[in-house]
Amino acid sequence: MNRATLTLLSLLLICALSLVAAQQRARKLFVALERTQVEEYKLNQDWLRLEYEQRNLSKSARIRDVARNQLRMMPISPERTLYLKEAK
Amino acid sequence: MRPVGFSTTPNLVLRLPMWRSRLMLFLLFFVFTLLLIRAFWIQGPGNAFYEAKAVRGTQRELELPASRGKILDRNGMVIATSLEAKSVIAYNDTVPDDLSAEKVQKLASLLQMSEHDLRKKLKEERKQVFLKRQVDPELAQQIKKLEIPGIGLNNEYRRFYPEGEAMAHVVGFTNVEDRGQEGMELSREKDLAGHPGQRRVVVDRLGRVVEDVAIEQFPQNGKDLQLSIDSKIQYLAYNAVKSAVEQHHAKAGGAVVLDTQTGEILALANYPSYNPNDRRGLVGEQLRNRVLTDMFEPGSTIKPFTVSAALEKGVITPNTSMAIGASYLVGKKPITDTHPNGTLTIAQVIQKSSNIGAAKIAMNYLSPEEMWDMYTAVGFGQAPKIGFPGAVAGTLHPFKNWVPSDQARVAFGYGLSGSLFQVARAYTIFARDGELVPLTIERSPEFKTGTRVISAKTAIEMRQMLETVTLPGGTAVKAQADGYRVGGKTGTAHKLVGKAYGNRYLAYFAGIAPISAPRISVAVMIDEPTGGSYYGGDVAAPVFSAIVSETLRTLNVLPDSSVKQAVLDDAGPAEIHAASVSAQPVVLKR
Repeated sequence: MNRATLTLLSLLLICALSLVAAQQRARKLFVALERTQVEEYKLNQDWLRLEYEQRNLSKSARIRDVARNQLRMMPISPERTLYLKEAK
Repeated sequence: MRPVGFSTTPNLVLRLPMWRSRLMLFLLFFVFTLLLIRAFWIQGPGNAFYEAKAVRGTQRELELPASRGKILDRNGMVIATSLEAKSVIAYNDTVPDDLSAEKVQKLASLLQMSEHDLRKKLKEERKQVFLKRQVDPELAQQIKKLEIPGIGLNNEYRRFYPEGEAMAHVVGFTNVEDRGQEGMELSREKDLAGHPGQRRVVVDRLGRVVEDVAIEQFPQNGKDLQLSIDSKIQYLAYNAVKSAVEQHHAKAGGAVVLDTQTGEILALANYPSYNPNDRRGLVGEQLRNRVLTDMFEPGSTIKPFTVSAALEKGVITPNTSMAIGASYLVGKKPITDTHPNGTLTIAQVIQKSSNIGAAKIAMNYLSPEEMWDMYTAVGFGQAPKIGFPGAVAGTLHPFKNWVPSDQARVAFGYGLSGSLFQVARAYTIFARDGELVPLTIERSPEFKTGTRVISAKTAIEMRQMLETVTLPGGTAVKAQADGYRVGGKTGTAHKLVGKAYGNRYLAYFAGIAPISAPRISVAVMIDEPTGGSYYGGDVAAPVFSAIVSETLRTLNVLPDSSVKQAVLDDAGPAEIHAASVSAQPVVLKR
C-alpha cells in the first residue's frame, strides 16, 4: 500500500516535470520557428530586391547605352547575319 | 484628575441593548452571503467575461503581410514589383517636447523636409502623424538609429517600375495604399491585390510572441500577371516614336505592334509619357494612353478596306482602270488629290493614295450598307475588348443617315473615327488571309482562329497592293525595312479644329510585315508634325520601318527580302564555321 503510493507519487512527479520540460521545449522551438519565418520573409524581400536590381541593370535602355557608347557596338543588319535552319 | 483603574472603567458597567448585537450579527452574515454568491458567480456562470479579459492581456492579433502580385512581360521580365518600404510615424504624445535641436535637424534632413515643417507636424493635435511614407529601408534604418522616442516605423510596400516611361501607359501605377490607379494596375486590381491575413498569438510580459494560438485568416498574396507585351519591342517602339516626335516637333505620337498569329499585343507605345516611379507634377496630357483613348479620323489608312469591299463583291480586280481627273464633285465640296492623276488602276489608287479613286470606287461599285458592313466587320465603331480602362469605340454613323458626300468621304477616311489600336487590329485581316484576330494583352502564345471578313484571295491581292505602297512610285518608300518586305498604307488626316478642318495634321502609317508570311501588324501615329513635311509617308513611315525591322529581328523571323545572305540547311558546327569565314557582308542597295 505504502509502496504503491510512493511509486505513483514519483510517477506523478516525473510526469509533471516532463510536462514542464516539454512545454519549455515547445516554446523554444516556437521561438526558433518564429525567427526562421522572419528570416524567410527577409530573404524573400531580399530576393525581390535583387530581382529588381538585376532587372534595372538589364533593362533595354541601359543595354543600348552600354552597347553603343561603352562597347562601341552597332545594330546587326540582315545582310551581315547568317541564318541557320533547324535540322529536320 | 483622579486615576481610574482598568477594571473599574465605567464603560464596562454600561449595558447595551440586546438588539444591537443581533443586528450586527445579521448584517455580517448577510454581507458574507453576498460575497459567497458573488464568488460563486465569478467561478461559474460569469466566468466567460473574465476569461476573455485574461486572454486580452496575454494574446494579440498580428497581421500577416501579403504582397501585391508582380507584373511580368511575355519573357518573364519584371515590369512592376512591390518592394518593402517603411512609413515613418510620430506618436505625438510620446515624443518629448524638449527634443534636442540637433536630433530634429538630423531627422529633418533624413526625411528631406524642412525643420519648420517637421516641428509643425510633431506639434499636431492628432495622436499619430505620418511623417513620411514609402521610405527606403536603408534610410529607415538610419532614422531608427537616431533613437528618438515616439518615432516609429511601419511596414509598407512600394511599387517599382523598372521600364519607367517606356511602359508607363500599359502598366499604369498604384497609389500609396498600393491600389491600382491606371493601366493594368487598375484593370486587374482584383487579381493583383494581396489580402493580409491575421493570426492570434500569446505574448509574454515583454510583448514577445511565445505561442501561436490560431491563424484566423491565411494571408493571400496577389497573383502575378504576365502580359503579352515584350519589353524589348515596347522599348524600341517607344524610342522610335519619341525620336520622331522630337524630330518633327510634333505634339504627340503613338505606336501599336500586334502579333497577327497569336493576337497578342506586343507593344503599345505613347509619347509624351511619364515616369511611374516619380509622379510629381504629372499632367493629364502625359497620362493619356492615346493609342487606345484618342479618337481620330483614320484618313487614307481606311482606303484598303474600301477597296477590299469592292474586290470581295467581284465588281473590280486590281487591274481595273478608272479615270481619276483633277477633282470629283460629290455634294458641295469637290474631292481632290495631293498630286493630280490621269488614269489609275485599282492597285495604283492604293499605291498613290488617291482620294478621288477611293471615292469613285465607293460611289460606282458599293452601297452604303456594304461599306458600313466592312468597316464594322474589321472593328470600327466598337470598343476593343482587351480589358483596358478607357478604350474607345470611335464613331461610325449608321449608313441610313449617310448622304452621298458622306459615303464618298468615308471611303477615304473622313466622317468616321477610331483609335490607332483599332486601325492596327483591322490590318490583321490582310496578314491573316482575311481573318480578323481576337486580341489579348495577356500572354497566350498559341495560334488563334479569327473571324473571316474577306476571302483569302482578296487578302492576298490586297497584300500585293500594300507592298507597292512601299516600293518606288508609292507614297511610303521610307517604310521599307532592312531585310524584310513590308506592306502598308500611309495616312495624312486634317485635324478637326472645332468644327472646321484647320492646318493641323495627323500623320499615320499602318502596315504588316513580312509580306511573304505576315507576322506583325504595326500602326504608327504622329500628332501635329510641324516644321517640314507632315505627310504620313515622310513622318510616320520611317518609324514603322524602324519598329518593323527591329521587332522581326527580336522575334527571330527569317528575312524575306532579296538581300543576299547565307541560309544553311542542316547546319552542323563545321558548316557554320566554314560559312562564317566565307560569307561576305553585302551592302543593301535600294
